[in-house]
Amino acid sequence: MIAAIRPGAWNFPLFLHVLGVMWLFGAVLAALVLARAGRSRAAFSSLLVAVPGWVVGFAGANWIASKEHLENSNATWINIGHVALDFGVVLLLAALGVSFWWKRSGKARAGQITAALCSIYLLLLAIAWLAMSGKWS
Amino acid sequence: MNTYEWLLTFHITAAFFYVGAAVAASILYVLAITSSKPSDAALYLRLIRRVLPLMFVGIAGTLIFGIWLWHNAGYGIGAGWIWAALVLWVVAGFFGQRGGEHQEKARVMAEQHAAAGDLPNDELRAMLRDPVGTAMSYAAGVALLAILVLMIWKPGQ
Repeated sequence: MIAAIRPGAWNFPLFLHVLGVMWLFGAVLAALVLARAGRSRAAFSSLLVAVPGWVVGFAGANWIASKEHLENSNATWINIGHVALDFGVVLLLAALGVSFWWKRSGKARAGQITAALCSIYLLLLAIAWLAMSGKWS
Repeated sequence: MNTYEWLLTFHITAAFFYVGAAVAASILYVLAITSSKPSDAALYLRLIRRVLPLMFVGIAGTLIFGIWLWHNAGYGIGAGWIWAALVLWVVAGFFGQRGGEHQEKARVMAEQHAAAGDLPNDELRAMLRDPVGTAMSYAAGVALLAILVLMIWKPGQ
């Protein structure tokens, strides 16, 4: 009954975290669909839309972690969450950069790389939400 | 992991599928609205179908695992926030379906204009920006957001 014992002050940061990451997941999913359809400009735009989702999800994650005093926790689910957001931003920026290159050059290879980076990030996000909802220890 | 944690994991996964697919569909719809060529609008509206299976899994999963969790976690039959979430789940589904039907009509029109010269068309633009059709999709999104609020705050719990 984790939810029943969660203090009310944790709700807003948790809401921001979940909302931001759901937004991020949806925008990267759209970018993947667009990249596979060969739409470079639209895939780039969709990845731009993902950035605010990452910012809100990251801010919410740090806020809720500080409220729960989990900043220095070594729990597996916390570490996986850190990887999904900290390493994830590298993937997101790489996908943005490659899709920009694709938009400018029109090279099909860039589209394939964009789709691959989006797929990897979606997988990473899925592992993170599984770990965090199941509190893998 | 115990049964509660497994059920919560599946419930949250379904919620990610539902909301994530809804966000992706919204982005694709905005791209269709802002397209100047009917063929581009038709393509973006067709691409919405690619995320629908994920959305349908999310819609079913949130309900099935949500009700299972309700029983497993021992929340009472009078838990108002759960009933409110169930009503909003129906509302989101209703408006989402109506919005989807409007998008499908727009897709058919876009395909027809694409085949007939692919020139910018006022009738298609009006159909894509139809306030009633757009309001249906917005209403579904607001209902989903309200469910998320209820799931986190659990008012009255």
